Amino acid sequence: MLPSERLEFSAITLRPRLALPGRARLVVWVIVNIEEWDPTEPMPRTVLTPPAGGAPMPDIPNWAWHEYGNRVGFWRMLDVLDRHTIRAVLAINGSAIARYEPIARAAMHRGWEFIGHGFSQKNMQKVADERDDIRKTAAAIRGFTGRNPHGWLGPGLTETWETPDLLAEEGYEYVCDWVLDDEPVLLKTRTKPIVSIPYTQECNDVAMMLIQHHKASEYYDRAIDQFEQLYDDAAGSARIMALVVHPYIMGAPHRLKYFRNALTRIREYPDVLFWTGKEILDWYLAQS
Amino acid sequence: MIPRERCAYSAIVDRPPLTLPNRARVVVWTIVNLEFWDISRPMARQVLPGPTGQALLPDVPNWSWHEYGMRVGVWRFFELFARLGIRPTLSINARVCEEYERVARAAREAGWEFMGHAWEQMPIHKVADQAAMIAKSLDTLGRFAGTRPVGWLGPGLTETEETPDLLAAAGVKYIGDWVYDDEPTEIRTAHGPLITLPYTVELNDIPMMLVQHHESPYFTQRCIDSFERLYREGAERAKIMAIAIHPYISGQPHRIKYLEAVYDHVNRHAGVLHWNGIEILEWYLAVRGNQ
Repeated sequence: MLPSERLEFSAITLRPRLALPGRARLVVWVIVNIEEWDPTEPMPRTVLTPPAGGAPMPDIPNWAWHEYGNRVGFWRMLDVLDRHTIRAVLAINGSAIARYEPIARAAMHRGWEFIGHGFSQKNMQKVADERDDIRKTAAAIRGFTGRNPHGWLGPGLTETWETPDLLAEEGYEYVCDWVLDDEPVLLKTRTKPIVSIPYTQECNDVAMMLIQHHKASEYYDRAIDQFEQLYDDAAGSARIMALVVHPYIMGAPHRLKYFRNALTRIREYPDVLFWTGKEILDWYLAQS
Repeated sequence: MIPRERCAYSAIVDRPPLTLPNRARVVVWTIVNLEFWDISRPMARQVLPGPTGQALLPDVPNWSWHEYGMRVGVWRFFELFARLGIRPTLSINARVCEEYERVARAAREAGWEFMGHAWEQMPIHKVADQAAMIAKSLDTLGRFAGTRPVGWLGPGLTETEETPDLLAAAGVKYIGDWVYDDEPTEIRTAHGPLITLPYTVELNDIPMMLVQHHESPYFTQRCIDSFERLYREGAERAKIMAIAIHPYISGQPHRIKYLEAVYDHVNRHAGVLHWNGIEILEWYLAVRGNQ
């Protein structure tokens, strides 16, 4: 289905007001991405190109650079989230649950929400059987946490024309790939609608650090600029702000403090809620 | 072997902490990279692509940009590290001992550790006979330096699936290609265990200046940010901070002061050791069993 068949254009200022509980204005949700990179395939991202270019395989240096995030970086990030008493959302490749079981255990122990993030870190358009991939990912999460995931984020936010239909049919209730609004919206599917919750490519360390090559401090600066504007916008109707991190990027020793300082600053606002995706989903469905 | 067959996943928090002598917190491991760029092939890195993106052969502008490091930039490094009393690890293409004997000799006389870094600068995947290249490189460095290297770093950290096996067979004890931890680790090879030391692609002037195109002062900022975090963590668990530099990049007049500023900052702290790769290896082998 084309995007225009899934939802109609809608200007944010012309919609009914969304209200959060109490006098809260804004919801922030933090998504930690845990991936498994297959060393027998090209790496999804690279920090170092080989001498004189090309893409020789295997690519051990870039595989190891990502692996650092799961061995070391994640644990720094966990400490920051614990100190701020934030329950994050773990967007995890299905295969990574068994591979990085200590990470999955730490997240479950803290009551984080698990959402599907592909079975492996591979473009959904290149997955042989998309439905099977979506189903296997749900099964891996259910096998570990005891319940089906409510949410889905495509690897690299990738989708086929059919992805939202398959997600709805396989029991997913929300999707994060559609970064087209500051409020949740409903997307039509072949069956029942699925909710799109505002994820971000803007306050996202992959885009900022690996593609745009910003200094680490830009993560803090941009998060706060984003936050202040959305906080203003939220005077009329509730807004959702996402903060996205990957342990191999923001978990590097030189970057962590910019993530930590952003959370510290936002935590100073009593009328800002830190919610999981499921909490945003339940609130939104109750509003509409 | 793929990485998983060499080493299982391990979360750093599940390991007993390693401890340094005299309650030191952080080991700073400085690695200077010296390379030989063959003018008859495409250059390993480029500061200036040809007009309209055409590949140039010979690529004289980028060859001479790198050559500047050997003629001028590296002497800024020698001066800096002599002044600081630091003896870095020298990651050296073995061919440098023949083509830039003057530079290699200065490193030998300064007591720097020689670490194998292939014969010349090209991805190891393109080397026809890897075992022969490794042997020739280690023999050449051994003859030149007086002792055979115990460490190895692939050119651009490149490895094939068999590289660690070939290195272990050639007597190498540690490698820097696995930048996946803050601590040394042990990996399996067909010829016995090999130790990985935490080299870096973060505090490294190639990704920072040539790939990510950061401004020169950011080198100081990123190194200090790393150091402060690791120094804090070092109160509980020994940390190693590698700094990887190249004379054609950090030896530039506009960049050298930002490198100097890193050491100025780090050396204001108690509990910081400047060790080379062999010292880190020997410490790790001695302490890992008795935590």
